[in-house]
Amino acid sequence: MLEYVFILPLLSFAVAGVILAFGKWLPGRGASAGIAVAAWGFAQAAILFTKAIQGKLALPYEVSIPWFSVGSTQATLGVYVDGLTIAMLVVVTAVSLLVQIYSIGYMRGDPRFKRYYAYLSLFTASMLGLTISDNMLVFFMCWELVGVCSYLLIGFWFEKPSAAYAGKKAFITTKLGDLGFLVGLLSLFYCTGTFRISEILELAHIGFIPPAAAGAAAILLFLGAVGKSAQFPLLIWLPDAMEGPSPVSALIHAATMVAAGVYMVARLYAVYALSPVALDTVAWTGAITALTAASMALVCFDLKRVLAFSTVSQLGYMMLGLGAGGFTAGMFHLTTHAYFKALLFLAAGSVIHAVHTNDMREMGGLKNKMPVTYITFLLGALALVGIPPFAGFFSKDAVLAAALARNPYLYAVGAVAAAMTAFYMARALVMTFHGEPKDMKKYDHAHESPPVMTGPLILLAAASVVSGWALSRHEIFERLVNFEGVLPFELHHVSHGAVALYAGTVAVLSMGLGAWLYKSKPGIPAMLRGKFAPVAGLLDRRYGLDAFFLKFVALGDRLSSVLFIFDLNFLDAIAIDGWAWLTEKLSRIQRWFDDNVVDAAVDATGTVTLCAGRLARLAQTGIVQNYLLFIAVAVSVFAALAFAG
Amino acid sequence: MTLSHYLALSGVLFTIGLFGVLTRRNIIGILMSIELLLNAANINFVAFNRFLYPGQHLGQLSVIFVITLAAAEVVVGLALVMAIYKNLKSAYVEDYNILKG
Repeated sequence: MLEYVFILPLLSFAVAGVILAFGKWLPGRGASAGIAVAAWGFAQAAILFTKAIQGKLALPYEVSIPWFSVGSTQATLGVYVDGLTIAMLVVVTAVSLLVQIYSIGYMRGDPRFKRYYAYLSLFTASMLGLTISDNMLVFFMCWELVGVCSYLLIGFWFEKPSAAYAGKKAFITTKLGDLGFLVGLLSLFYCTGTFRISEILELAHIGFIPPAAAGAAAILLFLGAVGKSAQFPLLIWLPDAMEGPSPVSALIHAATMVAAGVYMVARLYAVYALSPVALDTVAWTGAITALTAASMALVCFDLKRVLAFSTVSQLGYMMLGLGAGGFTAGMFHLTTHAYFKALLFLAAGSVIHAVHTNDMREMGGLKNKMPVTYITFLLGALALVGIPPFAGFFSKDAVLAAALARNPYLYAVGAVAAAMTAFYMARALVMTFHGEPKDMKKYDHAHESPPVMTGPLILLAAASVVSGWALSRHEIFERLVNFEGVLPFELHHVSHGAVALYAGTVAVLSMGLGAWLYKSKPGIPAMLRGKFAPVAGLLDRRYGLDAFFLKFVALGDRLSSVLFIFDLNFLDAIAIDGWAWLTEKLSRIQRWFDDNVVDAAVDATGTVTLCAGRLARLAQTGIVQNYLLFIAVAVSVFAALAFAG
Repeated sequence: MTLSHYLALSGVLFTIGLFGVLTRRNIIGILMSIELLLNAANINFVAFNRFLYPGQHLGQLSVIFVITLAAAEVVVGLALVMAIYKNLKSAYVEDYNILKG
């Protein structure tokens, strides 16, 4: 069973190539192949998961083969599977499968249909590779592949300038974090001398790595996660990533791209656990992210962007959970979030498919037209908000409890963000599905999506409803992914019940308030918006983060201008041109030498030969008798010599 | 009459022949001078045979060979002369300078 895990990413990689090359002749223009592989992968992951929670697997499982060696360092290719890996595998394969099925309907008639499926498979393959890799080198390769795939898919409709821009933005912004990741990876290698995850974890457990070094490496690595998982302040790429097709957003936001950062922190959690500073960095970054992103979502009118900000905010929760010492809580939230966020994006995609706009101000009243989408969206929203007994309630409650156990301030930030979450989800729900239709033409045109799209919605809705309860029952999830190391700080004892009660109450109240405001008193939010225009503007501008990074980029631009001038006037003028000048002079000398010495020698040889030939010619008179005379004289002379001798 | 007389005669004859070969302008004359050279050699053969090995006839035998050879040589030589004459329209050796470098 475990021996075949390595096939999962390889098969996905292969099928991506097959779809790209032969998709035209495959049934469904390649969709069938991608879906078949994803379904098989999900089946494998599900079996693994079942066996793992029954305790039938010997975990952690590790196997590796040598890849190449540099000096005494051996790089390996291999598989490392533990509970964390299996939990992640289930999430990735499940969401990937449902997204691919849903895309049949959503992408129907797209001219680059088969390329789309190839990219999806490649994306899944990269994420699976990252999940099961036994060493950080392959992990990093897959990490970058995920980045490439996100670039390809966000900019999938690259005819739109905004999509092309968003793709570039996502790629470059995450690259900024990857720089830190690479440096962190190398410093970790410097401390441990190995890239293998199992060895790194082992060395961290026995305390071989100095805490300061571990903290530095962990924070640098976390920079990569900040980019990939859209944490503050590198969260700017994620709202723009909404330019991609909606199912891609679902895949990116639920299972692949953004989960990679969280998974990385969880994977190397033993290293993080060595340093309280690193954990606090993670926790506070997460908390700030959760709050800022949630506040941005409050004023956004683009349905998908509201969900995008919500994703950023929820990723902040996961980081908060991990950083506060709630390893299980963070991963639990990742798992449940994957289902309800994929659901919300796919449902939003269904809405957008029907009304052809992202703007919630042009929607409204769609619940009658699209009942399945409405119900599933509602369930997803309830799960996200954390209304008991939906999935989000269990996981978010666990995160908040972990935060409270670590630090009350962390908890306070998280709780405020949770209230905001409930509010903006109520707002989005009401604006989209309730009330009067704002745009009758679009409303009349709207229709329920085909079963191939609603099917995945229903399945995800089911998962969103039960996954939290099911996984927290008998502490299934906790036993699966439990972190067995020692945390660097004492956790306060907190009553889960109190936190849950508080979180549930806040969620219900806040959601109720949002729903009431937007449904019955739509004038009040508008009035508030007008009154607090500077605040709304600040939120709309995403706290100026975009502008800041544009400035940052502009600064880079200016720096490159300076470098260009330096290049032109110094490097080019002095070094390159000077070298050319020197070379030219040298060759002139060489040419003189060649002309006057080497060639002269050659010519002299010729001249000497010529003169000698002329001299010898004199003897050749052409008169036969002269020759005879020479012969006669020579014979006489030799005869005389012979007699004399 | 001693061997020296014969050898002197032979030497004179050879010198005359050599002189002819080297100085005659006419190719026919040169051929004739070559005959003189051969005959000078013939006299030597016969004289040496007569005075050194009186009972034997090896010298005479050689002479007959030489005479035969001379006849053949003249045939070949005259044929060559004819061929050259046809090409160069001249019987004078100073005109035969196509080997001149």
